[in-house]
Amino acid sequence: MLTNPMTARQSATSEQEVAQLIVATLNLDIAPQDIPADAPLFGEGLGLDSIDALELALAISRTYGFELRSDDARDRQVFASLRSLAGYIDETRTK
Amino acid sequence: MAEAGGYSVPLLARAPGDILFRLPGQSVSAAAFLAAARALAARLPADGPPGALVGAPRGGAIGVPVVNLCTDRFGFALGFAACLLRGRVSLLLGDRSAPRLAALAAAYPGLHALIDAPTPDLALPATMVGTEPPAAARSGEPLPAFPADRLAAIVFTSGSTGEPVGHRKSWGALAARSIDAGRRFRLRPDRPAAIVATVPPYHMYGFETSVLLPLHAAAASWCGPAFYPVDVAAALAACPEPRVLVTTPLQLRALLAAPGSLPPLARVISATAPLPVEMAAAAEHRWGTEVWEIFGATEVGSIASRRTVAGEVWQSYPRVRLRQSSAPARVPAGVAADDDPPAAGVAVHAPHAMPWPLSDRLELCDPTRFRLLGRRTDLVKLGGRRVSLAGLTRILTGIEGVEDGVFVAPDDLETEPTARLLAFAVAPRLTSDDILAALRARIEPLFLPRRVVRVARLPRDPLGKLPAGALAALRAQADDA
Repeated sequence: MLTNPMTARQSATSEQEVAQLIVATLNLDIAPQDIPADAPLFGEGLGLDSIDALELALAISRTYGFELRSDDARDRQVFASLRSLAGYIDETRTK
Repeated sequence: MAEAGGYSVPLLARAPGDILFRLPGQSVSAAAFLAAARALAARLPADGPPGALVGAPRGGAIGVPVVNLCTDRFGFALGFAACLLRGRVSLLLGDRSAPRLAALAAAYPGLHALIDAPTPDLALPATMVGTEPPAAARSGEPLPAFPADRLAAIVFTSGSTGEPVGHRKSWGALAARSIDAGRRFRLRPDRPAAIVATVPPYHMYGFETSVLLPLHAAAASWCGPAFYPVDVAAALAACPEPRVLVTTPLQLRALLAAPGSLPPLARVISATAPLPVEMAAAAEHRWGTEVWEIFGATEVGSIASRRTVAGEVWQSYPRVRLRQSSAPARVPAGVAADDDPPAAGVAVHAPHAMPWPLSDRLELCDPTRFRLLGRRTDLVKLGGRRVSLAGLTRILTGIEGVEDGVFVAPDDLETEPTARLLAFAVAPRLTSDDILAALRARIEPLFLPRRVVRVARLPRDPLGKLPAGALAALRAQADDA
C-alpha cells in the first residue's frame, strides 16, 4: 500500500514508544523493553488499575491528540496488551 | 404487612412519572423502574430451602445473600431493588477477582449472583439482569415498603488488614441518608437534579449518590459511561439542567487537565480523598459552579459536607450528630457489624445505625460541625479506600520464605495519582516476582506494592522497631537503585 505523504509523519506507533509513555506516565519501576507485548496491562500482567487508566488516557491525549472513551476502551479491549494499545493509538492518533 | 414494632420505609418516595435513571437514549420513570425491579425479583430464586439460613460471622442468621456483580449502574440499581423486594440481602464488593468471589462463596454457602453481562468464569449460580420485557408500569398497587431495621446490604471494603470486611446497612439507615443528602444539597422536586457519577455503584460513595439518592430525593442518575473526561462531557450534555457531577479528586484533576468544555454545572461533589482547595477553586472558576466535598466512610456512609473554598469546617448531614466517645463502640443486637469497631474517638450517631467511632481524628466545634485533623492510625488511603500498613506487613511476613518485611507508603500517596505502596522483604530464597505473586492472591490489586525490594536485612533498632528515619533512608536507597 502506498503511503499517503500527508500522513507520513504519523509513522507506525511502535510498541516501544508506547511502553516508554506508560513507564514515564505511571512512574513504573520497570524498563520499557521489559513490558511484554502480549501480556495484559491490567490485573495479572503489569498490574495496572483504573486510576492508572485515567492517567494514561490523559498522557495519550497530550501525546497523540485524541481522547479515550469508555465505549472504545471496552469494545476494543484497548488496554488488553501493549500491542493492542499501540495498535489502537496508531489507528486513532491525530498527531 | 405486619411489621410489629418498627416502622416501614418505602422503596421509593417519588411520583410515578419522575425520572429516576437515564440511560443513553432512554429515561426510566419511577413507575417503570418499579415494574422492572418487580419483574427481576420474580426471576430471583427465593431465599433457599428452610434451614438453609447461614449465620454471618457475628450477629445471627441473615439468610442466603445475593452478590450484586452488575457493572452497569442501572443493572446494579435494579438488582438492589429486586433483592429488597425478594427479601434478600445484597452483597456489594469492589474486588470481583476469582479468589475473592471464591472466599465469599465459602463464607456464604448457597450464594447467588446477579450479573448484567455474560461471565463465563463465574463459579456461582447467577441471574442475568437486563433481560426484563419492556416494563409496563402497573397502577393501583401499593408501593412496597420494608422495615427500617431490615438488613438490606452488606458493603465490603478492605478491612484494616487488606482482607475484605463486610459492613451491614439497614434499609432505614440507607434511606435516611439519601433523604438527608437531598436536603443538604437542596434537591427540589420542581427542579430535579441530573446526577452524573464517575464513581462505581458498588463503592459506598457511588452507591449512596447514584443508586440510592434517586429513590428518595429529587434526582435522576446517569447510567451510561462516565469514566474518561470525554465520557463525562458527553454524559453531562445528555442530561438536562441542573447538573451535578459526583466525582473524586483524581478524576476532577483529569477533567481539569482535559481539553474541551463542559455544559453548565450546578454543582460538583467530590469525596474519597481530601480535595486540594486550589483544585476546588480552579474548578469553580472554570465551570462557574460550586465544588462541595462529602465526608464519610464505608462503615457509616456520607455524614457531612463542606464547600471546599469556604473553609475547613464540615457540617454534618441533617439528623447526623458527632460525639466524643471514650469507650469503643458496643455492637448492639440486630445491627451487628462483621468487623471490630475502632477504639474510642469521635463517634457518628445517625438514624437506624449503630454509633460508630471514626478512624479519622476530628476536632469537634459542636455536634454538627468539625474540622478534620488527620488519621488516627497507620491507615493510608489509596483510590478512596483505606488500608493498614501494619495489616499488609503482616500478610507480607506471613509468606513462606519471607523472613522479615515491611510495607511503606510514599509521602505523596494521596495526592499523586501514580503513587503506590512499596514493600521491602528479607527473603533470600525468593525473587521479587515470587513475593508479588504470593501477595496478589491475598491483597487487592490497588494495594499491591508497585515494587518489592529485596534487602539483606531491615534497619531495625535494638527493640526490633523500624524507626521512621531508617525507613526513609531505606526508601531513598531504593529510589536510587
